[in-house]
Amino acid sequence: MHILRILQTVDRRVLYVLLMLSVTLPFFLTVRLPMRVSPATQALYDRIENLAPDDFVLLAIDWSAGTRGENGPQTEALITHLMRKKCRFAMLAFEPQSPTLCQAIAERLGKEYGSIEGVNWINWGYRVDAKNFLKGFVQDIPAVIKTTNRQEDVTNLNKFPIMKGIKTASDIKLLINIAPSNIYQTYVQFVAGAKKVPMAVAPTSVMVPEVFNYLDSGQIIGMMPGLPGAGEYESLLGTNTKVTRFANSASFAHILIILFIVLGNVAMLLERRQNARAGGAA
Amino acid sequence: MSEYIVRHTDVFMLWVGALCTLGLYSMLYKENRIYRLFEHLFLGLSTGYLVAQQWVDVLQPKWWKPMWEEGRWHFIFIVIFGSFYYFIFSRKGSWIARIVIGFFLGVASGQAFQLFANDTWPQIPSSFKPLIPHPAHTVMVDGKETLIKELTNSGALNNGIFMITVFCVMMYFFFSFEQKGLFVKGSAKLGRWLMMFTFGAIFGATIMARLALLIDRMDFLLNEFGPKAFGSAQMMFAILLAMMGLVLYLALVKDKKTPEEGEA
Repeated sequence: MHILRILQTVDRRVLYVLLMLSVTLPFFLTVRLPMRVSPATQALYDRIENLAPDDFVLLAIDWSAGTRGENGPQTEALITHLMRKKCRFAMLAFEPQSPTLCQAIAERLGKEYGSIEGVNWINWGYRVDAKNFLKGFVQDIPAVIKTTNRQEDVTNLNKFPIMKGIKTASDIKLLINIAPSNIYQTYVQFVAGAKKVPMAVAPTSVMVPEVFNYLDSGQIIGMMPGLPGAGEYESLLGTNTKVTRFANSASFAHILIILFIVLGNVAMLLERRQNARAGGAA
Repeated sequence: MSEYIVRHTDVFMLWVGALCTLGLYSMLYKENRIYRLFEHLFLGLSTGYLVAQQWVDVLQPKWWKPMWEEGRWHFIFIVIFGSFYYFIFSRKGSWIARIVIGFFLGVASGQAFQLFANDTWPQIPSSFKPLIPHPAHTVMVDGKETLIKELTNSGALNNGIFMITVFCVMMYFFFSFEQKGLFVKGSAKLGRWLMMFTFGAIFGATIMARLALLIDRMDFLLNEFGPKAFGSAQMMFAILLAMMGLVLYLALVKDKKTPEEGEA
């Protein structure tokens, strides 16, 4: 078969194997592709960097195991930064799996940075009906939250000193929503917009184009765009965990996809030209 | 047996995770029974998890306990009111379902006003952007000094592109008169092209997101499962390579000899 025809009819499974190789091989390479930090990620980093110790941050965690590849590294990077800065933070979810997944991350990083559950961070757990819940939440946080993910009373300040001084949304210095869905809009409507709480979003890559509208209008102050954003954030933190390796794999896979798109299209154009010439000659 | 599983939970979980991952990725070769098995397993698991969690985290602590143990007997009315929904299946009593549907429609409509005020409205004034470069300076607004940020040449160019895009896309969606004439038709056409660029960007971002999920699973197989199950990531990589080789053999040699049904 002619090379131009072969390039246009490559079996999809050959492409899958090449893609798998482009993703897995960089795990064993020491080469690291350069990373440029985007202004949106930098803005989020700067905002956390400028928080005072003990400032209260709300992490709105709304992701499940299905998007762990992107939202997991984002959560790890943000919790790492908050624990380093000694900020207090609470996790709240409208997604059932999220409290369990994020609890594991916070416990693991807490051991590393000496951050204690109940003192430096708290997991409020899973709630339903985001809109109506948030309407009450912004006015009286302890009364609406009531319990942690383990059904313990959050108003018990001996057990949860982190809740000291936390009454309304105005006590939240920064709200960060980590999600693969448009739940960030609900937070914009009922918390950031209604109570002027500074907000940032860590969406999956699919969501990034639409979140730019909110960034551009100033409704949110920063963004960590998907896995590349997590990689950028890690480079700012100076940590070198698996996210940097992930970003490397993503770059190699992108190069492969772009290469095949170009090759396939060039082959199609050249074949068309050949056919036109052959038609003209006949 | 159960004690053995408890002692080796970590390894057991890794094996389950690896088998599920490979089982689901077997779809990449072609539709098969192993893929179907794991797909149904995931569906069942996630549904069961959701049902159990709704009871444990929501209904039991927020409704059942207050009603049954704390004497808030009036919480029973929530169930009565909610069960009105089921009258939708009755011909005679369907009007009862309309009461609860109407209630929630009213709530949602009221919230839609707040949605517009806090979500969409701020984006309208922010789309009016300065187009002429200028240094940073202060102006008096309502008797207060307000800082106007510097606008560089590149910033002005960005704003210009933004304004042209907003205008052209709005022109594309303007249906009050026939789109004819070079200016109207041309700008509407440019609007359509600009939207195509946006859709392309969204599609590119979608591919990036899907790749991230693939990378996460490969990382799990190579760096979490591999070292525990086979001693090293390299060993797991060798197994993956063998699997990829098998897929290539089946795809390029075996499938070519036995064309699929429907292929002439």
